[in-house]
Amino acid sequence: MKYETVIGIEIHCELKTKTKMFSSAPVSVNMQPNTCVNEIDLGHPGTLPSLNKEAVRLSLMACMALNCEIDPLIKFDRKNYYYSDLPKGFQITQQFYPIGKNGYVDIPTDNGVKHIRINRLHMEEDTAKQYHSGNETWIDFNRAGTPLVEIVSEADIRSAHEAMIYVEKLRNMLVYLGVTDGKMEEGSLRCDINISLREFGAEEFGVKTEIKNLNSISNIEKAIQSEVIRQTELIESKQGVEQATRRYDDVQKTTILMRKKEGSIDYKYFPEPNIPPVLIETDWLHLIRENLPELPDHREKRYMDLGLNAYDAGQLIQNKALSDFFDQLILETSYVKLAANWCLSDILANFTPKQLFEKSYRLKLSEMALMIDALGKQEISSKQAKELFVELLKGAEYNATIKSLNIEQVSDQSVLVQMVEDILNENEQSIIDYHNGKDRAVGFLMGQIMKKSKGQANPVITNQLLLEGLMKRKP
Amino acid sequence: MDIKALIAQTSIEQRIEDAIKKSHAVQASLNAMVSFIDPKDQVEKLKHRSKDLPFYGVPVILKDLVNMKDTRTTGSSGILDNYISPYDATITQKLKEAGAIIIGKSSCDTFGMGGTNMTAWTGPVANPYDVSRMSGGSSGGSAVLVASGVVPMAIGTDTGDSIRKPASYNNIVGLKPTYGRISRYGVIPYASSLDHVGVFTRNVKDAALSLEVLAGRDDNDMTSSYNLVEKYSEKLIGDLSGKRIGIIQNVLDSFHNQDTLNQFNELVHKLKTRGAIITPIHLNEDLMHAFLPTYYIIANAEATANHANLDSLRFGVLKEGQTMDETMIQSRTEGFGKLLKKRFVIGSYALFTENQEEVFRKAQKVRRLIVDDIKRVLSEVDVIMAPASTQGAPKFDDASVDQLSSEYLIAENYMALANFSGYPSITVPMGYVEGLPVGVNLTAYAFEEMNLLDIAYGIENTTGLANCIKEVTQ
Repeated sequence: MKYETVIGIEIHCELKTKTKMFSSAPVSVNMQPNTCVNEIDLGHPGTLPSLNKEAVRLSLMACMALNCEIDPLIKFDRKNYYYSDLPKGFQITQQFYPIGKNGYVDIPTDNGVKHIRINRLHMEEDTAKQYHSGNETWIDFNRAGTPLVEIVSEADIRSAHEAMIYVEKLRNMLVYLGVTDGKMEEGSLRCDINISLREFGAEEFGVKTEIKNLNSISNIEKAIQSEVIRQTELIESKQGVEQATRRYDDVQKTTILMRKKEGSIDYKYFPEPNIPPVLIETDWLHLIRENLPELPDHREKRYMDLGLNAYDAGQLIQNKALSDFFDQLILETSYVKLAANWCLSDILANFTPKQLFEKSYRLKLSEMALMIDALGKQEISSKQAKELFVELLKGAEYNATIKSLNIEQVSDQSVLVQMVEDILNENEQSIIDYHNGKDRAVGFLMGQIMKKSKGQANPVITNQLLLEGLMKRKP
Repeated sequence: MDIKALIAQTSIEQRIEDAIKKSHAVQASLNAMVSFIDPKDQVEKLKHRSKDLPFYGVPVILKDLVNMKDTRTTGSSGILDNYISPYDATITQKLKEAGAIIIGKSSCDTFGMGGTNMTAWTGPVANPYDVSRMSGGSSGGSAVLVASGVVPMAIGTDTGDSIRKPASYNNIVGLKPTYGRISRYGVIPYASSLDHVGVFTRNVKDAALSLEVLAGRDDNDMTSSYNLVEKYSEKLIGDLSGKRIGIIQNVLDSFHNQDTLNQFNELVHKLKTRGAIITPIHLNEDLMHAFLPTYYIIANAEATANHANLDSLRFGVLKEGQTMDETMIQSRTEGFGKLLKKRFVIGSYALFTENQEEVFRKAQKVRRLIVDDIKRVLSEVDVIMAPASTQGAPKFDDASVDQLSSEYLIAENYMALANFSGYPSITVPMGYVEGLPVGVNLTAYAFEEMNLLDIAYGIENTTGLANCIKEVTQ
């Protein structure tokens, strides 16, 4: 590849507040269209905005996590344009004094950790949602006024892969903070990608295009890849790239022109006169910083310190709900690796993301912890654990299940000694093999005992008794 | 008769019926009403409430910019001709809580944008002292309904002098308190940083009482103040001795009407004899010449954005086109008058990226200089004072105004100083010039309403011009 790809990303992220940015109407979570609105959201004459304090708190948390400088004097501006999804005819945003600026996020790449600078983070309100069918347009104002933060990166990203990692990492951080639910497919996190090419070593940026509203991580990759090809061809054929806004078409697998730069409108930004500057108190900032939830990077390190390998730790933190589940589980069992294995396999297999997120399952973590403990102490076999787990998923208790499935262990020494003796009597050859250094024989004999006891012999005690019995029969 | 006496001496039925009858009777000659509201439900609700309410059963009028749930609120515009408010303005609620009965909405310049009331969608409003003359604006309808004896109090709004000028033309009291003293929530805006809600009454005491009812913090208006509301009406004394009154010399110097000046000088003389300390003060003359352009730029820039919500897609008079854009354009083209369009164009021009620094931002800087200058003079006196208009209300067809003269730029438009600064300002009757009323205007420092009202009360006692009513015969 002759050209270097230069990418900057703007992320619009809906904040997880109960009410809207500037009104007391509830934020809609899949509600009936036009039910979560009041006169303010609809831009009725005479209405005024009232700033949502919780939205400011969440924005401050995002600023802190992204290492931004925080402007303690909150100011808003009007962005003026006419569109049917914009009730007031202007959007209230922070054009001149964003709440956060000059931050960064570190992302892992094949060449080590890369520092992606954040230019700004600002608060604003969302527009209404439009649905077009034939000649008709339907407008759902539920989304109008939903609190948003826009996070703008510097043009520090150099590939589709880095772009994906950046968005995924940022999304995960914001989800961990509880700032957003981060559901790209539902539009609560949307990306605009600015992309240009230049020859390697060149200082100046090439002409950029902006790809609007990408709504999945995989589409980010596909859109960038196809745009790189398109721009490369234009440069190679000396036609040049034209500055424009484009969108990615999933069907045609390419970007489509939306509007050219020349036609862009003047938003006539000016300070919002109805919101006086609000000074954030230092105490409140401290309080928010002190109570900042654990971020994924920190959690990953903690897992590795507990003894998990990098892969498992990485897998766990990718899924906050699962990772939270794991954290709860290891409060009650010290078999951390076993717990991680079970989370990454059986829990993931049995629970939907929604179930995990909402904790809507009957499984009791304390009972699962008892099972993992028993497994760790080799009081039960993996096979028994799988059988047990089926019952635990239904909300059963560990001890009762052990009884009901009749997989209670035999730990009585006299019973086990008899069993060991019987098996040794029946397997003379294995005794010889053992004393000839074939350790495999122990496994075989254990298997025989387990078979005879229908799996109920306590493996730890049995193993010890078996070794003792073998030593006694040294030829 | 003040409001307290009205409540004591009449029955609810009597005063409501009387007000409604009069409001209809003066309509043909004054054209002040936009909508009449059947007060039956409001009166019914009042039956279970205390008779000690400050506005118990008192009929009042709202300027047609004030939303009242389930009533028509047009802003005296075409585009909102069919608009029924889905909610109450904060002041509407406060008035209801105080026992007031809202009997109608009054005409104004469209969205408060004007000083003549001649741009109202329902036509010009006449002055009760001479129906061939204008009411003044923008709160003209409210002013003449108080002046002609229909209601003892009406709500107005004031962005440049829209309460204080018509008060002067109509021989009544017009009060615009400090910015943030009365909530603007639910009041259709002109220019958010200059808009104020205020009242017209026939005496200072009623203005004070109204302020008690209307003022206070409102969480729906982030610019509203947490300052405590005083019992203004109970604390009025009217003692002028030791009160420091600054006369705005620049205003007097640009005057031509000797009769008005004589009236004013006579008043000043009387105030001195009552113990007031009179000092001439000078505002920066260059800045005063910049009042009007500064005002126009800021007000119209804010207005063009404030009214961008009027696209008729969700409410308002719809003129359907082939596309959504066309519908918006057609609705706005037909729903706005010529003056409004002119102001929107000026406002947009001031905000364009290529002009903003040189026009809008510069106007904001000039505004700060103006406010600093007003603050300077008010650090030495309690109030600053000057005639509220150079003469009585102009004729409807008066085209004699030279809009570039100092008389126009300074003497006719200086009252915007209280909008730039947000300081409280009041007009009270001063006397008659050629048979027409002319008022005097006072402005005090922020949240000095009590002192301002007390000095105004002293002036009212001096002139004896309280409770003036000009009955209109058809």
